[in-house]
Amino acid sequence: MTVVVRLAEVTREHGDVRALKGVNLEVAAGELVAVMGPSGSGKSTLLNLAGGLDRPTSGTVTVEGADLATVKDLAAFRRTSVGYVFQDLNLIPSLTAAENVMLPRELDGVRQGRARAEALAVLEEVGAAEVAGRFPEELSGGQRQRVAIARALAGERRLLLADEPTGALDTATGDAILQLLRARCDAGVAVLLVTHEPRYAAWADRVVYLRDGLIVESTSVRLESAR
Amino acid sequence: MSIRHGLLALLDRGPRYGYQLRVEFEAATGGTWPLNIGQVYTTLARLERDGLVEPGGADEQGRAVYAITGAGREELERWFGTPVAPGDRPRDELVIKIAMAVAGGAVDVAEVIQAQRAATMRALQELTRTKRAATGGLAERLVIDSSIFKAEAEQRWLDHCEAVSKEKSS
Repeated sequence: MTVVVRLAEVTREHGDVRALKGVNLEVAAGELVAVMGPSGSGKSTLLNLAGGLDRPTSGTVTVEGADLATVKDLAAFRRTSVGYVFQDLNLIPSLTAAENVMLPRELDGVRQGRARAEALAVLEEVGAAEVAGRFPEELSGGQRQRVAIARALAGERRLLLADEPTGALDTATGDAILQLLRARCDAGVAVLLVTHEPRYAAWADRVVYLRDGLIVESTSVRLESAR
Repeated sequence: MSIRHGLLALLDRGPRYGYQLRVEFEAATGGTWPLNIGQVYTTLARLERDGLVEPGGADEQGRAVYAITGAGREELERWFGTPVAPGDRPRDELVIKIAMAVAGGAVDVAEVIQAQRAATMRALQELTRTKRAATGGLAERLVIDSSIFKAEAEQRWLDHCEAVSKEKSS
């Protein structure tokens, strides 16, 4: 299996606070890894480092073979290689669902027509085709999260980072979101999911627990595929 | 519950023979409650004794069919209308184990909690896989969901134990 993201002996200090104290973690293509842990355990720091939103104090982060310390334009790297889904969805209110999905691609110089075609295809994939022309305020919480996931996936990104993507959603909608992440994963994307809810972590192939900046336990289930 | 109310609920859809009741009962409960055919017949015999079902003759293949009676329908209605009492759960071994670990002092509580949490998470992962692979109907899905919610409650309680015992010891 191809490793998509690898963290090796990664530490991160914020002033005197050591948020991560030497973490080793790999996520392969087609693998869903969930990170759990109490607040302040370093979950979000880990996700930010894996996606190049932050740089480690020591250790290395490698995404698809590239050491992020050597990547000069991290912003461009983030737009092309990594998809992010956050709890606060950050959809732009004045743009339609489709335009929200197109935006990062257009920023990357993809022409409008192609960006639109890609956006419609990926909205279809996440089951949000029918809302492509609607504005965020006209969507339900679950639909907004589907659009946010579509935006994170547009442009064939192989790594998807999700920080509490089920946020305030009810459990049935939360399950639908996990079903969707799982399907993307089964299609070959590597997914790193931060959640404090065991029911969603349980969709992962591997669940790691962080405590005080260290991985303290890891559970994996590798049964026959349930796909 | 009783198996009797489960069988009454199935018979309320129409007359059925014993084996059919067994298959439908297991399908509705997502296979989490296997019945043997003996239990089905003993239960049917008691339901008949109590006037809640009656023999409905034989089907075209000669199998003895049972039908629900008026009294059976009333009993079923009463059952659906009555909430389940939290009642007589057997004492929970995990709760006792954690309580003893905290009280005893000789064991590392954090380790006991971690070991249990890993095991519960594995169970939760397997339940989720079962749910993804499930091809049965809504009833099956909701039965699996029930186990998922219970495992999740245990997991949350373990997190809570860890946080509280850490607070107390620091």
